[in-house]
Amino acid sequence: MSLAVAVTGAGAVVGGAPDFAPPLAYDALGIGPDGSVPLGHLPEAIRARAMRAERITQLLLAAGGRALAAAGIDAATAPATRAGIVVGTAFGCFLTNAAYQRRLAAEGPAGASPRLFAATVANAAAGELAIAYRLAGPALTVSAGGASGLAALGEAVEILRAGRADVVVAGGADALGGALADWCTATGLAFGTPPAEAAAVLVLERPGRVRAELGRIAGHASGFEPDPEGPAGGEGLAGAIAAACADAGLAPRAIAAVVSATPPPLAPLEARALDATVGGCRPRPMRPALGATGPLGLLAALADRKRRVPVLVLEVCPSGHVAALVAWSRGAP
Amino acid sequence: MITGCGVVSPLGSGLQAFWEGLLAGRSAVRPIAGFPADDLEPRAVAEVRDVPRTDPDRAGAFALEAATQALADAGLDPASVDPRRLAVALGTTLGGMLLFERWLDGDAVDGLERVPYYAPAVRVGRRFGCRGPVVTPQLACASGTQAIALAADWVRAGRADVVLAGGADLLCRFVVAGFNCLRATAEEARPFDAARRGLVLGEGGAVVVVEDAEHAARRHARLRGTVLGVGAAADATHMTAPDREGRGAARAIVAALGDADVAPARVGFVSAHGTGTPYNDAMEAVALTRVFGPRNVPVNSIKGAIGHTLGAAGAFEAILCLQVLAAGVVPPTAGLATVDAACADLDLVYGAPRAHAVDTAVSTSSGFAGVNAALVLGRAR
Repeated sequence: MSLAVAVTGAGAVVGGAPDFAPPLAYDALGIGPDGSVPLGHLPEAIRARAMRAERITQLLLAAGGRALAAAGIDAATAPATRAGIVVGTAFGCFLTNAAYQRRLAAEGPAGASPRLFAATVANAAAGELAIAYRLAGPALTVSAGGASGLAALGEAVEILRAGRADVVVAGGADALGGALADWCTATGLAFGTPPAEAAAVLVLERPGRVRAELGRIAGHASGFEPDPEGPAGGEGLAGAIAAACADAGLAPRAIAAVVSATPPPLAPLEARALDATVGGCRPRPMRPALGATGPLGLLAALADRKRRVPVLVLEVCPSGHVAALVAWSRGAP
Repeated sequence: MITGCGVVSPLGSGLQAFWEGLLAGRSAVRPIAGFPADDLEPRAVAEVRDVPRTDPDRAGAFALEAATQALADAGLDPASVDPRRLAVALGTTLGGMLLFERWLDGDAVDGLERVPYYAPAVRVGRRFGCRGPVVTPQLACASGTQAIALAADWVRAGRADVVLAGGADLLCRFVVAGFNCLRATAEEARPFDAARRGLVLGEGGAVVVVEDAEHAARRHARLRGTVLGVGAAADATHMTAPDREGRGAARAIVAALGDADVAPARVGFVSAHGTGTPYNDAMEAVALTRVFGPRNVPVNSIKGAIGHTLGAAGAFEAILCLQVLAAGVVPPTAGLATVDAACADLDLVYGAPRAHAVDTAVSTSSGFAGVNAALVLGRAR
């Protein structure tokens, strides 16, 4: 059993169809009918920066600003060397890459935009959030397909456990639309339910030095399914669930609830993994949101519980990436 | 523990070709041959010449070949490892960009699912049947260093027994035009030279086998070296320009030394990021002097030889460090003839290899968005 980590702030921006109304532990910001990302809550200087930024950066700044404000952390003027950032994203700057490449193809090298090119690194969004709030500790962006969000939360937990930072801003984000929607169609990528465009960010701290807690992350693990739809599909997820429970110091059978957004084609894989670990407990479904899925699932898990219970959050992606996270909801023990 | 190394480099494929090319001070920088480049200026790059451009997932092909070599070098059959304890940490900045370019241009492309950044790691994970973590760290030009740092952390925390860790990146119009429009490139890579004008891009793949010490001991594995410590820190100042004082880079190195419990005076070699851009090299001179003091430790950069291989660079440089530790000789910095006054506090190795017995080496990387990562590597005993 390893150290549990406290969630002290959260923020999210969620777009998509009106039927997407997950029970969340906070009031998520919505995306406007015109597709605009809500930025009005950000401090003026950061909002001005966000207005000029790419879409995934806007999403992350909107959610991150909300989370930091909720945790009572202001934009610092000096570098905060004990504050880290970990962001998970499935597709990163896909849309920026497309915008940059289309101009390059149409106009030749004279059409190559320095501003766009600088934002084609997948860590651009995390970099902008780090610059905005002067987060100068360890910075990491990870991609693990639709399991990127939980992978990011897991690495953030490890940074805190190792004492490399006192606070880590962690979560996931993916921008959707245009070229990425075309690509999903072209590849026949079976996400099942169309994913929502979203960003979700949590502020994580070591327990004991914290303000009010929304809950705790007790254990985590990532895994992989080399052949997700094959007969052995589920062994990677079962391994991740078992490892996350062991990390949390819990027997898998002690899990009280499961939250996941597993796409229908992979439901048999998930069922096999759950049968082999937590038993008959079946997941409460939620709509997938690419890199933000796991962080949103965690916030859903931390909400609407009167008692303190261990909840399992899963991410399962057709790419083969899987992840599991065990959290204690807030509430009386 | 690191028990195996694999390399697909512009100096050739295989550890030996890479190392012999570096020791000879050779540069693989040439005009672009692999794709249309008449309108690109500058157009000097370091291409991998012994892997044909027929595989549209070029970064994935580099990664797979480097991983296969690394496993062979480690004498490790992946099927002998508990699949849940077998993992991949593979950095890249471009991933399936070649496919992406073609698809956006309206061409019919096979293997479109290999477009995303995570595709090379997935390809490696599938080939070797991994059921442990398969993650693509995205730290721009520090991705390769961060991948090995992640792998070492996973093994230390008991989350994996064997991790295939490193990076892979490819050359294409997207990236060459991009660095050109930032005015960051030059026709020649001359790290730390008074006449340096910018970086030269390269491509390739480099993978190491990071293995749990007990796992390695049980199978009597030969050791290539040890990851003693890892560190990371952000400048949090600017998206593309490094902090002029090198504060983030220095903090990453200090964090890695602290993690390794190694005093700066015990470090015998530093593999610099050394891109050859005016700002980076001057920043690094400040950062390294801040940590190690003036002229206390030999430093080189291999980017004059193989170019800046982006997400693979840190993995190549970690393998360089392991070779320096094992052989007791530091290769010269190709392209460096006259040390810039701004870098005079560095003890740069150039002109010829330098015999130098070393127990501990540091590799440092920096990237866009002000990210910095460092590794402390130890000699196998």
